[in-house]
Amino acid sequence: MNFVIQIKDLHKKFRIPREKRDTLKENILHFYKRVEKEDFHALKNINLDIQHGEFLGIIGKNGSGKSTLLKIIANIYKPTTGEISVNGSVSPFLELGIGFNGDLSARENVYLNGIIMGLSRKEIDEKYNEVLAFAGLDEFMEMRLKNFSSGMQVRLAFAIAATIDTDIYLCDEVLAVGDINFQKKSLNIFSDLKKKGKTVILVSHDLDSIKKFCTKVVLLEKGIITKVGNAEDVVNYYIQKSEE
Amino acid sequence: MKKEKIISRKNIRILKEITISDFKIRYQNSLLGYFWTLIKPLLLFAVLYVVFSIFMRFPVENYQLYLLLGIVIWNFFAEATSIALRAFETKQALITKVYFPRIIIVIASTLTSLLTFLLNMIVFFLFLAISNIPFSFNFFFIIIYIIELYFVILGIALIVSALYVKFRDLSHIWDVLLQIGFWITPIIYPLSMVPETYHHFIYLNPLARVIEYSRAIFILGHIPELKLNIVLFFMVIIILFFGVIFFHYQESSIPENI
Repeated sequence: MNFVIQIKDLHKKFRIPREKRDTLKENILHFYKRVEKEDFHALKNINLDIQHGEFLGIIGKNGSGKSTLLKIIANIYKPTTGEISVNGSVSPFLELGIGFNGDLSARENVYLNGIIMGLSRKEIDEKYNEVLAFAGLDEFMEMRLKNFSSGMQVRLAFAIAATIDTDIYLCDEVLAVGDINFQKKSLNIFSDLKKKGKTVILVSHDLDSIKKFCTKVVLLEKGIITKVGNAEDVVNYYIQKSEE
Repeated sequence: MKKEKIISRKNIRILKEITISDFKIRYQNSLLGYFWTLIKPLLLFAVLYVVFSIFMRFPVENYQLYLLLGIVIWNFFAEATSIALRAFETKQALITKVYFPRIIIVIASTLTSLLTFLLNMIVFFLFLAISNIPFSFNFFFIIIYIIELYFVILGIALIVSALYVKFRDLSHIWDVLLQIGFWITPIIYPLSMVPETYHHFIYLNPLARVIEYSRAIFILGHIPELKLNIVLFFMVIIILFFGVIFFHYQESSIPENI
């Protein structure tokens, strides 16, 4: 089997202090008194294999661990226990962004991100027009990014993330923002990626799109995978359960 | 996860890109831009020069060069470490969205300060050129001291930047420590005025060594003994090594705590 991502018994725990104590003074003054920390288990016992060319949907309520899972796949968070292996390069689009710098112009941000994704300046030169066409923000490219509206920032971010040629695409809530026009474009991009046989992981609350594109869907509830299967079944199960 | 090499073409490109954009951002919002970085140390220099060569007098020949070199070197250390301390806070958007070796952020931040320092050194060289000190090939020894100085700064920057993520009041503590450092390092006063018994305490500070040795090659016209250079070299290695190890153990928790 040709697995791109393999996750075995993965567990992610965050230690959340009940009282905020992140200064040294507080730590010294209250040294004798231990901070009570609550363990928050964001992900529990996750086992998941993703094959090459699969279009995986992840659904679940807010706070069920979807974004944490994507961040672990993107190598931003480390798992507390368990294993994850990712074969191939990853283009992350997480929490509506890709790591912009508001003080740089939109154009400079395209280059900065391209370079972090491993492209050379020359390769970005070649891709630049494609990003422009997709984002549709031609006249704003010399403007500083902090003056962009949040919708425009997301458009540019997704344009970069989707245009870069990698093996695995992580998309967190792309469809929630952007105008109708842009949503259409995004859906076209998904079709393209699917045709090209790329591996895509899509987190979304837009269940219709999930049904339309995903070859496999995972339902996360409180950090546990409660159902895996084809899109139709899992989405219907999720809707049914929410209505109960 | 596949192990990627830290020193790769990709990472060098990232380092270059972040350094250049850092340098641009640091000065783009100010009216006088880069000139501020010249004005700040020069103003400090002017004030201290008036106080210590007109009001009080130190028995040092070429005191203006002596003082300026000390200030420029100290300023590099103080500025580079205070900016690097907040490096992850300023780059929060980047490090919580995409993975690349986090050490690049700290290296880029300190390299940006290095560029400023080199530009400040040009001012020192102008002062040197108009003084009565003849040119000497000994001057080129400064390159070694600048490299050693940079690695001391990098080692300390790695420690404070990772600590700051967990202890936010480190920025205030660091300001105080820098104030203390300014006075226990022989910047404005000549070491000869300090009682001999304290000299080995002062020389525990690698910055005191870098400053004194640089003065030796430019102003006193001699290269410090080999033994002294070896001691400094090992100090640099120890600080850098400790910084890299400490950072290595903190690195993975930075995006979660920032």
